[in-house]
Amino acid sequence: MMTVITDNLPVFVVIAPLFVAFILPTFARRLRLVEGLVIIANTLWIAGAAYLASIVLSQNGIPITYALGGWQAPWGIELKAGSLGALFILIIAGVSLMVSFFARNNLTEEVGSYERVARFYVLILLLGGALAGMAVTNDLFNVYVLVEIATLSCCGMVSARKHARAAEAAFTYLILATLGSILVMGGIGFIYIITGHLNMAFASQELGRVWQNSPHVVWMAFSFFLVGFGVKAAVFPLHVWLPDAHSTAPAPASAILSGLAVKGYLICLLKILYNVFGQTLMQQYAVQRILVIVGTLTIMAGSILALTQDELKRRLAFSTVAQVGYIFFGFSLINTKGLSGALFYLVSHAVIKSTLFLAAGAMISATGEGKISGLAGIGRKMPITVAAFTVASLGLIGIPLFSGFIGKWYLLLGSMEAGSVIPAVVIIAGSVLCAAYLLPVIRVAYFEPTPEVDVKDPGLSQKVALIVLAAAVVILGILPGPFMELANMAATELLVLK
Amino acid sequence: MRDFILKQVASIILPFVCIYGFYVILHGAVSPGGSFAGGIIVGLSFIAFSTVYGIEKCRAKLPEKALVWTESFGTLWYGIMGMAGIIKGAPFLANKLAGIDVGVPGKLISGGLISFIGIGVGIRVASTIITLFFTMMEEEL
Repeated sequence: MMTVITDNLPVFVVIAPLFVAFILPTFARRLRLVEGLVIIANTLWIAGAAYLASIVLSQNGIPITYALGGWQAPWGIELKAGSLGALFILIIAGVSLMVSFFARNNLTEEVGSYERVARFYVLILLLGGALAGMAVTNDLFNVYVLVEIATLSCCGMVSARKHARAAEAAFTYLILATLGSILVMGGIGFIYIITGHLNMAFASQELGRVWQNSPHVVWMAFSFFLVGFGVKAAVFPLHVWLPDAHSTAPAPASAILSGLAVKGYLICLLKILYNVFGQTLMQQYAVQRILVIVGTLTIMAGSILALTQDELKRRLAFSTVAQVGYIFFGFSLINTKGLSGALFYLVSHAVIKSTLFLAAGAMISATGEGKISGLAGIGRKMPITVAAFTVASLGLIGIPLFSGFIGKWYLLLGSMEAGSVIPAVVIIAGSVLCAAYLLPVIRVAYFEPTPEVDVKDPGLSQKVALIVLAAAVVILGILPGPFMELANMAATELLVLK
Repeated sequence: MRDFILKQVASIILPFVCIYGFYVILHGAVSPGGSFAGGIIVGLSFIAFSTVYGIEKCRAKLPEKALVWTESFGTLWYGIMGMAGIIKGAPFLANKLAGIDVGVPGKLISGGLISFIGIGVGIRVASTIITLFFTMMEEEL
């Protein structure tokens, strides 16, 4: 039994959430059962992910390759669960588990009837499965399919609320994300035309041989991938859909969308840039410079736009744009420190931003007030929620002992090693701006006089979710051990291909 | 009695359309088409039925619960079939490696696992397309 699980682990971590997603609609009328199933599935999933991570760690980062259906690459679809995949799946499963805890007994208010809630859970699990697939797949067309699954489930989650604004945001997202999908598809097509392979390893081998024969096609492929994944991951000029979509979705959906969905596309981009094109081509086509420019622009623009927002969830959504900028910038640093910093930052941002969105959701549903000024004095009425929000904010700003600091520190070291000074300044300026837009929320919540209104404290499972996530922010900051090790291995592995 | 001809013609044609859909699904492994196209044809027969005879009559034949169950388990079926490989000690979705008889190429029973997966996918596609149609028809604007 154990060997069966060990042998098939890379596929189990992908299909486990999908399996549960498919049986949920049949129990739609019994919400307790649905929620219980989702939590059990997520628990099993995180156990599988932790086991996978421990195997990868014990093998010193040597990936487990898995040929679906027994068809070996380049003919069949190959899964490759290396340190990158293990790290990302672990964080997806962890955040999903906590989000499903938070969503317990809490969704009917925002989403509606039991059937709608059940469908919402289906979408969460589908998205989780798709993201896990992105983390382990080694096949370009598979990437496209998973990107589509993830995009469509995100659209469903954005429109989950019965609200005209939610429908509008979901429609904008659908149009722009479909545009992104088409571009990604085009990029994959270009690679396939010149290499004749869809498997990443074989495609990159062939690409190294033939790229000089058709340099313009490679150029097109690069730009299609950058713009396509750029739309989906919301880098600066292409971010227009994100604030609406992430701020109108229900709180658990915002947490998953901001914390995980955006990261899935970034992981895909990272794998395509480093595992298919490789460093030499990236330098040849100055993709690195584009990433630096776009990344720094995104950090500054996202932070400044976040400062101008009055609504708490919109402010957090713009902050997501800024943090994507950090990760994008990290991808441009072709050295172990920078890449592992970007990956660790990705992990810590997933935890931090889901905490922030969940806490914000709890505060907003308690006061019925979306504006920051409406949260005056709430820190005394909802101590745990606001404490979790504070811890996560400090993490996002990058105070030492919180997880954001380590990611930013490695990004700084990496950019110093790459000899670029301006991005280093931008990283620090971004942190200052981050403090400027998050600390006022905490000040309002703790130090403004409390108006005499009834505030509904969140339930026990919501509190547990917030406490665990906030604890994770601190633990990742103090003992980043295995996560940093996985990120390091992943960075080393990505840099193998020249 | 205004739609007498339409109803008579539909009552003769639609059963054959439905059967043709299943024919396409089952021959997915050996001829053009397949479970998606076949599923669409099966779904289409029900959609045509509900446009001719009214949506309530079609609802009576296909209760919501049946649609939800076929839709969910049609997809789950794919996964369960994939597990056959794992149970036999071969990778996920393994076909011949899992010891399944793949038959003689060109004959009806020649896809091994593919035919079984195709049935699930076909039923799922049919129920999805019917659900989509019902949802659009009954949506309050």
